[in-house]
Amino acid sequence: MSAASATAAPAPPKVLRVPEHTVEIVSDSGEGAQKCGQIFGAVSAKMGNGVWTVELIPAEIQPPPRVPEGASGNRIRLGEHAVTNWGDRTNLVIAFNEQVLLARHRVDSLADDAVILIEDKWARSEDADIVAQWDAAMKELSGKHYRIIPVAMEDQCLTIVDNPKKGKNMFALGLLARVYGRDMERIKEQIAHAFRKKSEEVYNSNVALLELGYHWAEDNIDFRVEIPTHAADKPLVVMNGNEAIGMGAIASGMELCAMYPITPATSVSHYLSEVFEKFGGIVHQAEDEIAACGVAIGASYAGKVAFTITSGPGMALKTEFLGLAVMTETPLVLVNVQRGGPSTGLPTKVEQSDMLAALYGQTGDSPHIVMAPATIEECFHIMITARRLAETFRTLVMVLTDANLATGVSPYPKPTLDEAWQAAPLDLAPVKEGQKAYAWNKDTGLSDRIIPGRPGGMFTLTGLSHDEGSKVAYSSGIHQHSSAMRSRKIAVLQSLLVPPTVYGEESGDLLVVGWGSTKGAIEEAVDRARKEGLKVSSLHLRFLSPLEPGLKDIFKKFKKVMTVEINYSDEIGDPYINEENRRRGQLSILLRNATLVDVDCWGRVPGEPLRPMSIVDAIRGRVPRGGAK
Amino acid sequence: MSYTCGLLPVLDQHEDHHYEMSEYEGAKARWCPGCGDHSILTAVQRLLAAEQLVPEQTMMVSGIGCSSRLPHYMKTYGFHGLHGRALPVATGIKLHRPELTVFVTMGDGDCTSIGAGHWVHAMRYNVDMVAMMLDNGIYGLTKNQTSPTTPQGFKSNTQPYGSILPPLNPLEVALGITNASFVAQTAEWAPSHLYATLRAAYKHKGFSFVRILQRCPVYTPAIYQKAVQDPARIQLLVHDDGVVTPDLDKIYQSQLHHDPRDLAAARALAEQTETIKLGVFYRDPSKPRYEETRRVAPRTPAERVALLEKEFARYAV
Amino acid sequence: MPSDPRVAQALAALAQPIAEFRAAVQGALAQADAFLAAQTADAVTQAASAAKSLGVFGSHLDAAKFAAMFPSVAKADKASQAALTKAAKILRSVATQGDDMALAKVSDGRKLGATIDAALAGAGQAFGAIIITELVRGGRYKAAEHERLLDPSEFRAWNNAERRFAPPLVVEVAGADLHAGALLDFADGREKIVLVVTGDAPPAALVRCITPGTFVLQTVDGTGLDRLVGYEGPAIAAFLPEGAATFMHDPTAGKEPWQRLTVPFLPTTPFKAVGGFSAWQMEQDVKMLADLARTPFAVPAVPGAKGAPAIGAGDAVDRIASWLLGTSGIAGNG
Repeated sequence: MSAASATAAPAPPKVLRVPEHTVEIVSDSGEGAQKCGQIFGAVSAKMGNGVWTVELIPAEIQPPPRVPEGASGNRIRLGEHAVTNWGDRTNLVIAFNEQVLLARHRVDSLADDAVILIEDKWARSEDADIVAQWDAAMKELSGKHYRIIPVAMEDQCLTIVDNPKKGKNMFALGLLARVYGRDMERIKEQIAHAFRKKSEEVYNSNVALLELGYHWAEDNIDFRVEIPTHAADKPLVVMNGNEAIGMGAIASGMELCAMYPITPATSVSHYLSEVFEKFGGIVHQAEDEIAACGVAIGASYAGKVAFTITSGPGMALKTEFLGLAVMTETPLVLVNVQRGGPSTGLPTKVEQSDMLAALYGQTGDSPHIVMAPATIEECFHIMITARRLAETFRTLVMVLTDANLATGVSPYPKPTLDEAWQAAPLDLAPVKEGQKAYAWNKDTGLSDRIIPGRPGGMFTLTGLSHDEGSKVAYSSGIHQHSSAMRSRKIAVLQSLLVPPTVYGEESGDLLVVGWGSTKGAIEEAVDRARKEGLKVSSLHLRFLSPLEPGLKDIFKKFKKVMTVEINYSDEIGDPYINEENRRRGQLSILLRNATLVDVDCWGRVPGEPLRPMSIVDAIRGRVPRGGAK
Repeated sequence: MSYTCGLLPVLDQHEDHHYEMSEYEGAKARWCPGCGDHSILTAVQRLLAAEQLVPEQTMMVSGIGCSSRLPHYMKTYGFHGLHGRALPVATGIKLHRPELTVFVTMGDGDCTSIGAGHWVHAMRYNVDMVAMMLDNGIYGLTKNQTSPTTPQGFKSNTQPYGSILPPLNPLEVALGITNASFVAQTAEWAPSHLYATLRAAYKHKGFSFVRILQRCPVYTPAIYQKAVQDPARIQLLVHDDGVVTPDLDKIYQSQLHHDPRDLAAARALAEQTETIKLGVFYRDPSKPRYEETRRVAPRTPAERVALLEKEFARYAV
Repeated sequence: MPSDPRVAQALAALAQPIAEFRAAVQGALAQADAFLAAQTADAVTQAASAAKSLGVFGSHLDAAKFAAMFPSVAKADKASQAALTKAAKILRSVATQGDDMALAKVSDGRKLGATIDAALAGAGQAFGAIIITELVRGGRYKAAEHERLLDPSEFRAWNNAERRFAPPLVVEVAGADLHAGALLDFADGREKIVLVVTGDAPPAALVRCITPGTFVLQTVDGTGLDRLVGYEGPAIAAFLPEGAATFMHDPTAGKEPWQRLTVPFLPTTPFKAVGGFSAWQMEQDVKMLADLARTPFAVPAVPGAKGAPAIGAGDAVDRIASWLLGTSGIAGNG
C-alpha cells in the first residue's frame, strides 16, 4: 500500500495503454454514484469504447450511511472492442467512504493492484468512532496490493459550493474524465440531459464541480489510462435490458402491459408508463400479480396479444392463470426478469433459477414456449418473435431474462425497424362457416382463433377440459386428444427451429452449454481457456421449450458436456453428495432428459453475474490439461 | 382493430334482424331443479332480447362455481375462467374492446372470498360492465362449504357446528369503495324486480354491482325462505333513477323512496338487515370510468415506427 | 395548415375519434395490401415476409418452413381479388388525406347538409371497403351481394353499426349558411360534428338541434369542446363569433331540459338579419333557448337575499324552499 502525495508538483502523468479497464464508483445510497457512473458509461460508449455497466444496488431503499451493506453505485467495464459482460475484477475504484469500499473488497471485486481514489475526510473526523472505523478498514485493506490515493473530495467541493454532499459525484466524474481522457463537451451534454428537469443554476454548479474534479486530477494524479477507441461502423444505441424489453414490446405492436410492481422487473413498466400512451398502448398496474395476468389474458383473448412482466414470486402467483392461457390456447407473453430465490430471496440480484418453474411450474400438463434472450440487444428483438409465436401457436410464451440483463447497460446496433413486426395476427380473419373454437389440425395441433365480436363464432371459452367446439368434456378420450393437440404444437415449433451454432470448434474435450445472460461471460471464458490450450467450445440456447434441435448430435462430438448456470447445484465431493442424489443445474436436468447424455453442470449463486475467470476455473477443473477422460 | 370488429355485424345483415329470446339460448341449463340460477338466466336472456344486444358483441364472463356456468347456457361469447378471477379477465376485455357489452357472473365465494381483492378494485376502476354476484350463501358446486355470506350458525361441511363468523355484508363493502358507481340488490324469486334491476344495471355506464339473492335448493333452501313466504320482510327501494316495479306494489307494500344519489342514506340502508331491501342503493353516473380515462389514440404501424425512431434517438450513442 | 385557429382547436378536440377512424382505415388497408401481395407471392417471397414478421430473433427459426406451415392467406378468386383491389384503392385515398378527411367547407352555392353528406359519403365508402376486406379475407365475398358496398353511400343509408362508428367532422361554414335544421339529419349513432362559423351568424341557431339525446354546444372560445368526445351519442357543436349565445346541452346531466342546459350567455335584442335569417327568427331561437333553460319554479330575485340561484343549479325542491324562504324574508340577512 502506498499513498500519493496530493501536494507534489505535477509531473507528466504515466500513460497506461490497455485493451480494457474496469471502474467502480461506490457511495452510500443517494449520494449520486450511479448517476456519475451512468454518465461516464454513456460518454465512453459515445467515444467508441465497448462498455458494460452494471448497477450495484443495495437491497434497501435507504440503508444507514457508512455501512458495507449500503454500497451503491456502478461498475463500468470499458474495452477497446465490444464488451459482453461485467468482467472479473475492478482496476480503479472511486469510493465515497471506506465502508462501501470494504463491501467491494469483501466480495472480492477489486483486482490485487487496483487503484482506489477515496474520500479521506473520515480519517480526519472529530468522531473518534469514525476514525477508528477508518483505521480498521485501512488495516483490512492492507492485505492486498491496492494503491490508495486519498482525495479530500468534500473539502475541494466546498471551495465552490455550500453543500458538498450534493455535488461530490460530479467532482468524481471530473476525476474519471481526466484519468480516462473523456471528452468534456460530451460529458456536459449528458449532464444537461440528466438535469433537464432542473434549473440552469443546478446545471452550472454541476459543471463547475466536474471541472474542479478534472483539474484536481490533472494536478494530483500521476497516471492516465488509454483504451483505444473505434468509431462504430453502424449507429449504436445504449440502454439496459429492461428498457430494451419495453421498446421491443412497442416495436412488436403489443398495446397492453399489465403488471404489478416487483423488482427487478418493474423498471420495464417505469419506462413504458412514460412513453407507451403516445404509441397507442397502456400500462395497467393491476391490484396484484394474479389480476395483472388475468387482465392480459382478457385483453389477448379479445384481440391483440398483451403481455405481463414479473419476476419469480410474481410468476408463482400467476401460475393458475398461466395454465388457463395454455388450456384455452389464448396467446400471452410473460416476461420473467429473474432474481434470486426461493421466496423473496435476493430481490435485486441476478439468478437463473426460475427455469424449471417456468417450464414445469403450472399444474397439469401445460406445454408452452419458453425462450431466453442472451444479450441486451436480444431483449429488444425477442419481444417481436414472442408476440408472433404466441399468436401463431395460440399459446403462452415465456421470456426469461434476469437482473443482469435488466440492470446492465451496453450499446448495441440500432435495430432497423420494420412495420411487418406489427403485422396483424394471421388469425384475425372472419369466422368461416362452421368454424369451431379449436379446429385442431390432427397432425400439428394448430387451429385458428376466434375473436369475440366476430359474427357466427359464438362459443364459451373454458378452462375445463373441452372438445373442439369448446364444449366441456370429461371423457378420457377427449382429454387425451386435446392434451396431445396442445403438446403437439411445441413439437411443431421445434421442427421449425434452426439447430444452434457451436461457439468455437465443433468437437473437442468440453462443450459448455449456457442460456440467458451468461453468454458473454461464457464465451470470454472459452476464449481464455482455448488460449491456454484447452479444447473447449460453448453452445448458447435461446429456446428452452421446445429445445433447439440437433443437441444430441452436437453433444456427441465432445468428450464432456457441462452447463454453466447461475442457479444452485450440488458439487460431487460435498458431504453426502453422490451421482445419484446430486441436485443438478436446471439446464443440465433439461438436457439430460432430452438427450440422455451425461451432462455435467457448474452453477453458482453469488448474487452477482458470473465472472469469466470463475468460469475458466470451472473449465480447468473439468478438463485437466491433456484432455478429458 | 376494434373498429373493424365493430363494423362486422353488417356482414350478417343484422341491420334489420330482430333477435328473439330463444336466439340467446345456448346449451340446456344443467343446474339443479329449483335452483335460483334458472330464473337469473331467464332474466338475462330477456334483457338481451329487450335491448336487442347483438350476440357476438356481448360477452359473458364468469369465474368458477354453479353460477359461473351461466355463459355456457347463453349464445353469446363466453369466458368461463378461474375461481375468483372473472373480473380481471373482464377488465382486460374491456380495455382492448370497449365496444363489447360485458356481463360478469360470480358466486358469493367467487366474488367476496377468493376474488375479494379483484372485486374491490374492479369497483374502483369502474369499468363499464354488469357484475352479477349470485349469492346463495354457500359453496354449492363443491358441496356445502361455508362462504363469507353464509348466515352465522349455519351448519356446513367445513363448519359442521355452525358458521363461526357473522356473514359479510357485500352491500356495505361495495358502498365503502371509492369510485363505486352502481350498487343494487335484487332477488331471484322476484323475477320482475330482477329484470328491472339488471336493466338499470345495464343502462348504467360504469361498473354495476348487483347482488342477486339466490336460493340453493340443495344446501340453503331455507336461508331466504322466510322472506320468500312473507313479503313484509322485504322492503323495496323505489326511485325513478333506480328501479320501479308497479306490478309488485301489491305484494311488496313496504316501499321506501330512496334517491340513489344519496350515498350516506345508501350506506345507512345497507346496514339495516332486519328487512331485506331490494332496489338500487346507489348510482352515480358521473364517476370516471377506467376504460375512458385510459383511452389512448390508436397508432398505425407506420406512425409507431416513426415515433420509435425518435425514441431510439434518445438512446443513440 | 388551416388558417382559422379555431379549426385546429376543433380538430384537436376530435383527435381521439379521428385517430380511431384513421387507424381502422389504415389497418384494413394493411390487411388488404398484404392479402393481395400474398396472392401472387412465390415460396421465396413468402419465406422472406415470414422472416420479416418474425423479427431479428426469428433467425432461430427456418423462415421457409415457417411460411409453408403457416400460409398467410387463402387463395381468392378473380372477382374477390378485383373487389379487394378496388377497396384498397378507396382505403388508400382516405388514408392519405390525414386530418383533411375530417374537414369540410361549405362552398358557395352549396348547402350545409349537402356538404356534410358529401364529406361523410367518402367515409361511408371507406366502411364498405373495410367490410369488403374482411369478406374477401374470410372467403365470403359474393359479388352480386356485396359489390354495392363500394359505392359512395350517404349517411341516411348507413346502418346502425356504421352510424356508431361514423367519423367526426369539422365543417367551416359562413354564418349566413348556418341552417341548423339540416344538422339533425346527422344526429345519430355517435356522430360528432363541429362547425366553425365565420362572419355574422344567427346567435342561437343550434337551439334547433336540441333533442333529449343530442349533445349540443355553442361556444365562442372553445369552452366545452372537450366534453364532446366523451359523450356516447351524437353531438353537434358550433364555434361562433363573439356575441352569440353560448350554451351546452348535455343529455347526461338530467332528465328535464333545464337540468341538461347551461346557458352562460344569452344575447339580447335587437338582432340584425344575416343572410336568409330574419331578426324575428333569431329572436325566436334565443327565446326558445331561454324557455328550455327556464326552471319549472322560477325564482324571483329577492332584495336582501344573497342572490338568486343560477339557472340549472340545485334541485327543484331546494329551489322552491329557497324561493319561499326568500319571499318570507327569513333567508339571508333578512
